Amino acid sequence: MLGTGRTRRALRRLAALTAVLALGGCSILAPQAEPPPPPPDDVVEPEVVAPVAVETPPPVEVMPDPVVVPPPKLPPVAIIVSSSQPAFLDVAKALSEQLSESRIFDLGDNAQPPVAVLRNVNDSDPAAVVAIGLRAAQSSVAMAESPVVFSQVFNYHDHGLLTDNSRGVSPLAPFDAQLAAWVEIDPGIKRVGVIVGEGLEDLVAEAEVAAAKHDLELHLRIASSDQEVLYIFRRMAQEIDGFWLIPDNRILSARSLHEILSIAKRSQISVVVPNESMLALGATISIETQPADIAATIASVLRKIQSEGLQAVPPITPLSAIRVVTQ
Amino acid sequence: MKTRIGTLLANIAKRFSGLYSDSSSGKRALVHEILSIQVFSATLVGFLAIASLYWGGQWILQDNYSRWALQWTDQLNELGSPLYLAEDQEIRISLDNFVSRYPEIDQVVYYANDGSVLHAVDTEDDPDPVNALSAAQLRDAIAVVGASEPYLMTGGFLDPRQFNILAPVWVESIPDDGLFGFDPVNTEIETKTELLGFVNMKLDFVMFHDRLLSNIRTAVFILLGLLLLFAIYGRYALRKALASFADLQLPIQELAKGNLDVKFEPSQHREISDIVEALETTATALSERDAQLRELANHDSLTGLYNRRRFVEVLRSEVLEVMRKNRSSALFFIDLDQFKYINDACGHAAGDRLIRKVADELQRSIERDDVIARFGGDEFAILVRSVDVAGARAAAETILKNMRRMAHIEEEQLFHVHCSIGITMLSGTNLHHDELINQADIACREAKSAGRNRLSIFRLRKDGSKSATADVSWMNCLRDALDNDKFEIRFQPINEIDSGETTHHELLIRVMGEDGKLISPDAFLPSAVRFGLMTEIDFWMIRHAAIAYAKYSTPENRLQFSINLSANAFENDDLTGYVQETFEQHGVIASDIVFEITESLAVRRPLQVDRQIATLRDLGCKFALDDFGTGYSSFSYLQKLQFDYIKIDGTFVQDLPNNPVDQKMIRLIAEVGREAGMRTIAEYVRNVETLELLTELGVDMVQGFFVGRPTKVPKTKATPISLTARRQRLSRK
Repeated sequence: MLGTGRTRRALRRLAALTAVLALGGCSILAPQAEPPPPPPDDVVEPEVVAPVAVETPPPVEVMPDPVVVPPPKLPPVAIIVSSSQPAFLDVAKALSEQLSESRIFDLGDNAQPPVAVLRNVNDSDPAAVVAIGLRAAQSSVAMAESPVVFSQVFNYHDHGLLTDNSRGVSPLAPFDAQLAAWVEIDPGIKRVGVIVGEGLEDLVAEAEVAAAKHDLELHLRIASSDQEVLYIFRRMAQEIDGFWLIPDNRILSARSLHEILSIAKRSQISVVVPNESMLALGATISIETQPADIAATIASVLRKIQSEGLQAVPPITPLSAIRVVTQ
Repeated sequence: MKTRIGTLLANIAKRFSGLYSDSSSGKRALVHEILSIQVFSATLVGFLAIASLYWGGQWILQDNYSRWALQWTDQLNELGSPLYLAEDQEIRISLDNFVSRYPEIDQVVYYANDGSVLHAVDTEDDPDPVNALSAAQLRDAIAVVGASEPYLMTGGFLDPRQFNILAPVWVESIPDDGLFGFDPVNTEIETKTELLGFVNMKLDFVMFHDRLLSNIRTAVFILLGLLLLFAIYGRYALRKALASFADLQLPIQELAKGNLDVKFEPSQHREISDIVEALETTATALSERDAQLRELANHDSLTGLYNRRRFVEVLRSEVLEVMRKNRSSALFFIDLDQFKYINDACGHAAGDRLIRKVADELQRSIERDDVIARFGGDEFAILVRSVDVAGARAAAETILKNMRRMAHIEEEQLFHVHCSIGITMLSGTNLHHDELINQADIACREAKSAGRNRLSIFRLRKDGSKSATADVSWMNCLRDALDNDKFEIRFQPINEIDSGETTHHELLIRVMGEDGKLISPDAFLPSAVRFGLMTEIDFWMIRHAAIAYAKYSTPENRLQFSINLSANAFENDDLTGYVQETFEQHGVIASDIVFEITESLAVRRPLQVDRQIATLRDLGCKFALDDFGTGYSSFSYLQKLQFDYIKIDGTFVQDLPNNPVDQKMIRLIAEVGREAGMRTIAEYVRNVETLELLTELGVDMVQGFFVGRPTKVPKTKATPISLTARRQRLSRK
């Protein structure tokens, strides 16, 4: 359990940070050349810039063009979503607003089978395909004739989604920004535990860099199941101040999440989660991505592909904005 | 009544005496019985409590075992899951350490998902062999994957010490896109499940079970100790509480013995106080009733003086006292001289008033220690204590003087009532009280013979000695006759003049003299009256009349008997009941019996006598007015009295042929009787002249030697009567 004084201070800082990041459309963190995405309704416009917020986001290779040069008009794009859940559809809608010509296809639409949907995608002859969600990404990579940009997909390595014809957008909020916000809210954090599944070496490397930058001691463990996560966490709980829950669906389960958050609450371990709904279980801070940011990042990737070709685009493009919610 | 209450109290006293002692009566002691019930109840409750303790403890332990077992299963599940993914020696060591921390865990075995043994940890010196899971075990264990109670538990209720838990080990994960929009609160969230294997744990809680048994054993010993203490204290407390009951024992025994002055100690206990109060109330009631009965039994109802019975008791004790102290006392027998005259002239009520007045006067005339009693009628007796002959004489003269001065006014007439006093001395000789009374009576008669209104002192002259001895001898003779049925009955016929037939027999009582001759009642009845034997003689007569009726009366020739009853018989409340019972016993038809009562009794007719006569009449008995003409001779009584027969006194008949007055008297009686619906009987008919005269005078029936002498058996044939007499009668009609 967080101390009351520390919690109040953290909440004050969080309010300021949330305002900066949300209402400012993450203007500081977002590429300057891109138009700012519309702020979410529930985020307060910041007036005070938190120290973490002024930090430059992790290096983003795709930099926006100068403001004075209007962006080139994007060709027609097909947007395929795995289902109509908000996490996918919100991104699709935000992206559609940024594109001059686009069409959204829903694989979860029971009106027609996925194959028929994909056939329609190909028939529409898009210049690029944006796949949102694993199922959409898998189908698009397998069948699309146009370049594919996927997003909202974890463990894309395991599913072989990175091909010569495809690129991705990170599903995670930028680590540097997450840690900056966390330290800002809870300066007492020194030792941070992280448990991830196997095959996420890039992500681990990025986390280690971010931790080092914020002078945090990262306790990293690899687990292969939810039981093992629990087992590791019980032993880790004695040696960490905070736990950074990386959303690896392979090693997380509802039962292990309940148990972890319960143990953390009893042990007064601050826990950062990627989902606001987990705050109800005892998590301390929720740091999430924003659909507008994801959409803007996808749009920038599409422009890069249009202007410089697919090969000029890195396999995974990181996001730049975060949304912070505390209890 | 008193006897019954005494018996009841004696029983209660016995019960109280049995409160503590069970040896005297062989019955159980109340203290022991209550204590036994208490100890038995406490023992029962105690053992129920211990049994509850055992089963409750067992249940709690079992519940705890289950919780621990499930907790350990969860921990082992979590702890052992890496086993399925990598060969990690560290995990095995962790498992060993975990198992070794809990001595209750005998064995832990991890199985692969095909049931083969993956890893086993044993803590027993002689571990059980580890086998792969059977197909059935596999099937059952797989079935509980993801269930709310994901385990199979064996062992438990009958042997709660041994448990075996088999639980599947599985991992879960969130679907690929599941983390987007993930809601952990949603229980229906989609989960990917992968079965890794199984873990089986053998648990042995014998240590706890043995400890529970040890504790219960200790509790039993403590309970037994408490029971023993409870029994000792209970016995002490009960004895103390019931001591008040025991205190009642002696007073109740005294009460049962008749000591009504017994005092009960007050008790502090409400219940016992109630009992004490009830006993005191009982004692008081008994005392009052005793006094009332004593009063009734010892006193004359008219005057309140001692009656004959009580006086005899006092006299008896005085005789002993005189003998013991070698002194003398005197016994006065007093008979009023003019009482009969007043009674006849002014009636029975006047006689009673006079008697009361005389009693008061006599009481005023005696000393405080002297005792006065009324013997009945106009006879009184006084015991004058501690006097010699001169003192006795002086005391008697005082009485005579006072009586001479006493005047009694009745119906505006002045009466002077004198008395005659017979005196006998109680001196050193051992005299029987009956003999003393007889002596005083004799002396009284002598005083009367000498001219009344005087005293006479009994002196043992030759003749007097014989007389007194004879009187006492009569009493002994009568008592012997009553006790041994030595009276005899004679049947004297009573004939109807018109028909000459014997319609009745008067039953006459006789007693056999020492010389073998029958003695008539005139000789012994005065003594019988004096010694209070008349009631018994009357009852004897009733009983034997019934026997004779049963013997001699037949349906073809029904006999009718006349039985004389004295006034004493009617004073007995049992008379009517006795008559009814006796008649029923012997089959006597009540209408065949005529009871003869004297004129004096009929005239006085106290309420009690009246009631008895009415009851007997209701039974069907008839009544005859005996000796009519000698006493009150008031014809007005004949109207009032409901009699069936009038028996004309023999004095009118004895000299009838020569006495015209008697003839007129009889004619008058016969006419009055006829008018009143009564039949007349003339006694003492000894010759034909008398019979003819009686016929002429209108008498209905006759009795006497001429008609028939008393016989041993009743006559069943008619006695012939002079045809002349019959003819005269017929011609008169």
